[in-house]
Amino acid sequence: MHPQLQQLVALQDMMGMIREIEEKGSELEDMGFKTAGLDDLKNAREELEGKIDPQVMGLFRRLTGKFGRAVVPVIGNSCTGCFALIPASFVSKTNAGRLQYCESCGRILYWP
Amino acid sequence: MDIADVLKHTSSELFLPDLQATDKESAIQELVSGLSSGMNIQNPDTILQMLQSRESLGSTAVGPGIAFPHGRTLAVQQLSILMARSTKGVDFDSEDGGPTHLFFVLIAPPQDMGHQYIKSLATLIDSVQDTDLRDKLMAADNYEAFCAALKGE
Ligand SMILES: [Zn+2]
Repeated sequence: MHPQLQQLVALQDMMGMIREIEEKGSELEDMGFKTAGLDDLKNAREELEGKIDPQVMGLFRRLTGKFGRAVVPVIGNSCTGCFALIPASFVSKTNAGRLQYCESCGRILYWP
Repeated sequence: MDIADVLKHTSSELFLPDLQATDKESAIQELVSGLSSGMNIQNPDTILQMLQSRESLGSTAVGPGIAFPHGRTLAVQQLSILMARSTKGVDFDSEDGGPTHLFFVLIAPPQDMGHQYIKSLATLIDSVQDTDLRDKLMAADNYEAFCAALKGE
């Protein structure tokens, strides 16, 4: 996987985790989980954001603001953000070295 | 939700009867490689990173001798549960300082309807509070026996 994409996916997972703790933290604490490391996790998020190319980061933020999630999985040849079909040529090895975007909605594509 | 519903998300391919790792970092790696070979995952590093982030929040070894690593990631499309056991015990940074022998790893997609994985987590945590059950789980000969013990059969 493209290293930048790997970082974006990790960032998005991390953002989801932070949101989950902020929204459902008490439920998890009732089960016995500690969430004392939330600030550490937020620091790790900032650190990761700093490693990503600023231009890509800007786009990621815009897409997140617009859609909630900037990176979406491609499942069954479709963008799961807008359900547009992704051309087979996108999956080819020649494209593995760069980020790919849905031609229809612009979200960043990820093949799980 | 009862334990039988929870067990629908696992399989014999997602059962590791005896982990080799004894420290936290290599145990997480072993769990992730178990997940990626058991369910055909393209990007195991994504899951590894997610579980490491989760542990930085606070250790998931909250039961006596039991850990519940969990979280959501784009790398999976459905809730998947891996069960693992360690005879030697793993130093998983548990609350009581004791070694961890049982692992229930829950990985859910970001868009998990109705927080199915939180409910599964709660059910599992409730089910394994009993000391006798933990002994049975440690003694189970195979995946089927392990599940039967969990279901109280
Ligand atoms: Zn799209």
